[in-house]
Amino acid sequence: MELIVQVCVSGLLLGGIYALISIGLNLIFGVVRIINFAHGEMVMVAMYLTFWLNYFFGMDPYVSTIIVLPVMFLFGVLIQRVIVQPIQNSSANMKIFATVALSLILQNVALIVCKGNFRTVQVPYGMSTIELAGIFISVPRLVAFFAALASITLLYYFLKNTYTGKALRAIVEDDTIARLMGVKVQNLYLLAFGIGCAFSALGGVLLMPFSSVYPSVGIPFTLIAFIVVVLGGLGSMGGTFLAGLFIGVVEAVGGTYVSPALKEAIYFGIFIIAILIRPQGIFGKGKGSEEVGLK
Amino acid sequence: MRTNKLIIATAILMLGLLVVPVFFTSTFILHMFTLVFFYIALTAAWNIPAFGGKFSLGHAAFFGLGGYTAAILYVKCGISPYIGMFAGTFVAMLGGVILSFPLVRLKGPFFTLASIAFAEVLRMVAVDWRSLTNGSVGINIPFKPGWLNLTFTSGMPFYYIAMGLAIAVILLSWWIRSSSLGYHLRAAAADEDAAKALGINTAKSHFLGLMWSSGLTGLIGVLYVFYNYVLEPGSGFSMDRFSLQPAMNGIIGGMGTIWGPVIGAIIMTPLGEFLRFYLGTIQQGLNFVVYGLMLIAVVNFVPGGIVSLMEPWFKKKKSGDSSAADN
Repeated sequence: MELIVQVCVSGLLLGGIYALISIGLNLIFGVVRIINFAHGEMVMVAMYLTFWLNYFFGMDPYVSTIIVLPVMFLFGVLIQRVIVQPIQNSSANMKIFATVALSLILQNVALIVCKGNFRTVQVPYGMSTIELAGIFISVPRLVAFFAALASITLLYYFLKNTYTGKALRAIVEDDTIARLMGVKVQNLYLLAFGIGCAFSALGGVLLMPFSSVYPSVGIPFTLIAFIVVVLGGLGSMGGTFLAGLFIGVVEAVGGTYVSPALKEAIYFGIFIIAILIRPQGIFGKGKGSEEVGLK
Repeated sequence: MRTNKLIIATAILMLGLLVVPVFFTSTFILHMFTLVFFYIALTAAWNIPAFGGKFSLGHAAFFGLGGYTAAILYVKCGISPYIGMFAGTFVAMLGGVILSFPLVRLKGPFFTLASIAFAEVLRMVAVDWRSLTNGSVGINIPFKPGWLNLTFTSGMPFYYIAMGLAIAVILLSWWIRSSSLGYHLRAAAADEDAAKALGINTAKSHFLGLMWSSGLTGLIGVLYVFYNYVLEPGSGFSMDRFSLQPAMNGIIGGMGTIWGPVIGAIIMTPLGEFLRFYLGTIQQGLNFVVYGLMLIAVVNFVPGGIVSLMEPWFKKKKSGDSSAADN
């Protein structure tokens, strides 16, 4: 009994990071309408940045967000401008090819520059835990969860209450009409890609104190983020958040009770079952919304 | 007259390919040709769902399922590789049935994603299920030369096997593309809703396309394992070599066409080997950076793939032949 609670809690905390990464994907998906296969690689790049900042300057991972997040925001803007914008009007498949190519390039540049070794950041609080009612909670995971929660809330208020946020939501609803209403769609695409990228980067930074980075670390994140977005429903922030937590718990429980090697098999199973039952996602906006962003 | 010329040209090419092993006894050249044939077959099989606009990044799943089935049957149960071929094809098609759920239920990108996940999951299962697959160590095909064991002392038999396989898959994909299934798939690729409105059961067409594709890929996997002697999760379910490479060949050559995959495989396989051998030793991974850049260039400048550049030439060559226009 103790164990299951323990496992669920640690899964829930990890799920917060998954939610963070997935919300970045959801934003890019909804606004720019591109299926970003290089999303996990954004996490990977951010993790490497955190690692190198720590390695060369001894910078604490949490402190390094002040450098990593702006850099990754600009990186996202650059990707949108250089890779995506030229093919904005071609078919969905072409956009997939372009982002697959980007993910290949990023992974292999990482392999060339950083070699295939697992890199970790050594921090004094990496293994520290706090005890709460007999359950041990890892401090970096707890920090990650609350940082994720805070930034998701922040994004939610930004989208709900500011003019730019409203414009972004208008593009998600219908970008042609948004354009007709005078929304500067091209600029907001850049912004959305930048924010999406910064969110996944934050996920990467928060992961660093308790996990390691290697060139292909991003592949599972791409898959998880898509599964979470499908489960949560496109354009649904709350849905994405809950689905992220759910996948985190499933991973922890599956990894503990079945086999750590098979946790991806478990996601895949859930993914298949979920799309069979409700293709628009558990919290999706209704039938047909699974097709958003595919035109 | 023009068709006659084309037949003669094809016949000369075939004869030329038939006598290659007689003149080039170097193992490297034979291996390169064999590899090109394998990749032509693999890319053409990958291409069948692409007639319907769907493409997978997880064909290693079918490749590995086929290869593992035959290898396990042969090594652990002593069952002939010829029976293993059928078994491997069948198991790969079962994998296709599983992957057909996201294919039929969701639009393009989700199928692609599900296919990556599927192949990765199978790779992990192959690592984890040690009693069946020997885990990361892999399965070795014992060296007992003879047609009965599909194991040979020279590279020649496999040169012809792979060549026959490539030709068979090209012809099959040609036949599928010009059959009613092919027309249904192409209609679905052009406009899924319009195709449905015309009474085409697009779900069934996508499903059948994937069945052909997965079965053929499984068969290719079986033959490749016997060519390669060794099968381990990292190679059998290799994302780079059997998921990305065929997709890359197909996209760069021209997805959804008959000759695109062939041209793609002919260009990319030697290039890939060259990059792996010469650049790969300097910088591991550099070959994939080159592929990625090529892919971005193709997407930006020749979205139809290399085959679309050759289209005017094809049309002139075969004017009057109506089927040329859509090849």
